[in-house]
Amino acid sequence: MSRKSTPVINFPMVFRVMGWLLLIEALFMLVPLGVSLLCREHDIALDFGVAMSITACAGTFMAYVIKPKNHNTSMRKREGLLLTAIIWVFFSAFGMLPFITSGTLTNVTDAFFETMAGFTTTGSTVIADVEALPRGLLFWRALMQWIGGMGIILFTLAVLPMLNYKGGIALFNAEVTGITHERMRPRVSQTAKDMWLIYVVLTAVLAVLLIVPMGWFDGVCHALTTMSTGGFTTHKDGLHYWHSYYIYVVVMVFMFLGGINFSLLFAASRGRFNRVRQSDTFKWYCAVAFIVSLVIIGRMFYMNYCDNDADRVTYAIFDTLSTITSTGFGSVHYEWGSEFVAMILLIMMFFGGMAGSTSGGAKIDRMIVLLKQTANEFYRVLHPNAVTTVRIDSRALPHVYVARVIAFLAIYFVVIFAVALMLSMMGLPMFDSIFTSMSTISNVGLGYGVTADLGSLALLPAPAKWLLAIEMLVGRLELFTVLILFTRTFWVKD
Amino acid sequence: MKIVIAGAGEVGSHLAKMLSDEEQDIIIMDTDEQKLAMLDSYNLMTYQGNGTSFRDLKNVRVGEADIFIAVTPHEARNLMACCMAKTLGARKTVARIDNAEYLQPQPQRYFAKTGVDELIYPEFLASEEIANALRRTWVRNWFEMFDGELIVIGVKLRSNSVLVGKRLRDVGETVSGALHVCAIKRNRETIIPRGDDHILENDIAYMATTRDHIDEVRQLCGKTNIDVNNVFIMGGSNMAEQLANHLGTKYKVKILESNLERCQELADRLPHCNIVKGDARDVDLLEEEGIADYEVFVALTESAEANILGCMMAKDMGVRKTVAEVENIQFISEAEALNIGSVINKKLLASSRIFQIMLDSDTSNAKCLALADAEVAELVVKAGSRVTRADVKDLTLSQDMTIAGVVRDGKGQLVRGNTRLQAGDHVVVFCLTGAIHKIEKLFN
Repeated sequence: MSRKSTPVINFPMVFRVMGWLLLIEALFMLVPLGVSLLCREHDIALDFGVAMSITACAGTFMAYVIKPKNHNTSMRKREGLLLTAIIWVFFSAFGMLPFITSGTLTNVTDAFFETMAGFTTTGSTVIADVEALPRGLLFWRALMQWIGGMGIILFTLAVLPMLNYKGGIALFNAEVTGITHERMRPRVSQTAKDMWLIYVVLTAVLAVLLIVPMGWFDGVCHALTTMSTGGFTTHKDGLHYWHSYYIYVVVMVFMFLGGINFSLLFAASRGRFNRVRQSDTFKWYCAVAFIVSLVIIGRMFYMNYCDNDADRVTYAIFDTLSTITSTGFGSVHYEWGSEFVAMILLIMMFFGGMAGSTSGGAKIDRMIVLLKQTANEFYRVLHPNAVTTVRIDSRALPHVYVARVIAFLAIYFVVIFAVALMLSMMGLPMFDSIFTSMSTISNVGLGYGVTADLGSLALLPAPAKWLLAIEMLVGRLELFTVLILFTRTFWVKD
Repeated sequence: MKIVIAGAGEVGSHLAKMLSDEEQDIIIMDTDEQKLAMLDSYNLMTYQGNGTSFRDLKNVRVGEADIFIAVTPHEARNLMACCMAKTLGARKTVARIDNAEYLQPQPQRYFAKTGVDELIYPEFLASEEIANALRRTWVRNWFEMFDGELIVIGVKLRSNSVLVGKRLRDVGETVSGALHVCAIKRNRETIIPRGDDHILENDIAYMATTRDHIDEVRQLCGKTNIDVNNVFIMGGSNMAEQLANHLGTKYKVKILESNLERCQELADRLPHCNIVKGDARDVDLLEEEGIADYEVFVALTESAEANILGCMMAKDMGVRKTVAEVENIQFISEAEALNIGSVINKKLLASSRIFQIMLDSDTSNAKCLALADAEVAELVVKAGSRVTRADVKDLTLSQDMTIAGVVRDGKGQLVRGNTRLQAGDHVVVFCLTGAIHKIEKLFN
């Protein structure tokens, strides 16, 4: 009997699925193409056509020309992790084509950075004058954030039936954020569909609310980037272009929603408000947002920022939500005198929204675990024999998960400081580099000091941009999925 | 179909995995998080909770479930959980039990009234299966469909069979319509053969036939039937006790058990059997107990390895037919390769019952029997379904299934290329694992 040796990683299958995914990306490109035609930007429509055909060709090639050997279509953990990590890179690599073919961004570094900032919903940009961009490109930037917000894989799980089997679970776990990967329904495709349905409905509602004051184009773009907590905007001054309290409030509400765990939103949409009420994480999320807003409001009044009281209150709450949900719509430049507020925002970025939402950061769930575990440790100093548990939503979290959370946070810090170190090596001031690194891994996209202005990241040296682009992805996929690719154990047979 | 399973033990986990592969919506609940964690990489939903808690049952929304299956190790809890699930609105409930008494018609009616629709007793199913194997020692699997009108058998073909070396297409001429080869198991892989495939030595061929032709088939396969009078059972497990009861006084039964207390218990309960204390892997003991005089050796200890080993030793010592209980599904093909006559697996038997129940709630009068990687399903053709629209040879069936036979007007017949199925026909379908959900589309 001949023994079949199975390869460590089933590459042909990974490529095939990647091909299907690229075909989906090509379909998505149809949307900005249509927008371009609608806005009578025929040149840019042509550019999208070119980018789309390249993507579609590559996708078809990978999906149908590469054949898995012996019909080996199995996808295990390794394939799931690899595919999830790599597909974000591929999506960015093909998603940047419109920027290049249109000549908006001439070098690959800038284009890749911009696209990665889009898909990971970071929202940092190298384009200073966004108003000069053609509308098709602006729309593509917003759409990228919207796709990336919920997740490329999650979208595919919802629409591609061939991933609705065991392999799909590995993908789901690799992309969805959180300590445990909660499923709302028995089959992963149903879970993905439910999450996307909520996402689409919320975006549609927001779009309608924003179209009224902004007009259809800006309204839709901002709806896409708000719901995904991305933060790309279509004007140099962002939302201040309108300076309307109505818009601020609407955007704040939906940023807040975007930071909530989608399975909670799902439960609420089914009328099961009990779950929302019983959720510790949700209470913490609200409490943190509330307290931080109060502190910043107080600071605003104390230092007399802005011209009137209404602005102070609005900006304070807006900035708090924009940071904690990792949206990163900028409002006030704090280096005018309040390092204190910048410091608070830095900590907020670290917290982030709830796991299983579109927001970034280390997630409130993990902070709760960390704080409760710390409290337990203090308790154990006095009662060395005490047996303690960490409870979330009135359920004890197993110790393996607690250990995993602590490891996660430790690695998170290592990555932040490693990147900050390299940025300072390239000449950034200390606080700026830490702030930028934190903002990037948390997918917020705010800058400080030299990186504060819209598009000022363009001035960074190319290695710094590549570094930040990778950091965005590491943050979006919650460390392990990307970082494990750099370990030896991943690539050798065990 | 939404299926809620309470209890993530051996049977529960196996069912969950298998039904999930069949594209059913599975929620599996257990109080032990560790057990659930093992299922995390499957396409199903786990829930930490108790099957006998109203709150937990409501949380998994058992009211929307088509089937609720309780397979925890505790019989009373299973029955209780089923009653509760039924009250909450589950369409059909299934409980695993440990007591053959409940399978009598009267208790069954009582349980049905209290909300337990179906009872599964895996050890009982297994003992039935073994008793069947003793009646026909020349086959490895024997499935009777429609009161024996159609029979599907699995036979290991040796060089003395006239079928070996023939192309499937030519087999038809040799056997003149006595049998239809549905599937071949070769080197641990089950394949549905086409006309150009050859039958090779050491293949296990799964064949459909009718009652009148069964002797002819046996001769074609080059087999003789052994008359069984003496049965040697290794391991005095619950299943062994069931089997001894099942066999009754018709056979001379000897049970070998290593635990003295258990021996005493068995001796009290089974007066017609000889109980011997000792380990069946002890050659001297086996010889002393006259192993060579026994026609059949059945190994039913908890350890699959010990069972396989015991059967091999018994074969060496001249026993004609061996039966081993192998609970690790991965070991089954190993065991089959090692010439263990028949392999018994509680999980497969339990899951075949569940499949049957599952098909039953959609199609009427369906029956299903499970092998390690294939199923034999029995269904009724509905009017206007896809299979009635063309001759069998023109039906574009997928590669993983074949129609084995059909019963029309109470008479079993094999399927030929030009057979056209009619509404009301009872059909036996042989399909590989993971394909059973496709059948529903074809027949409804």
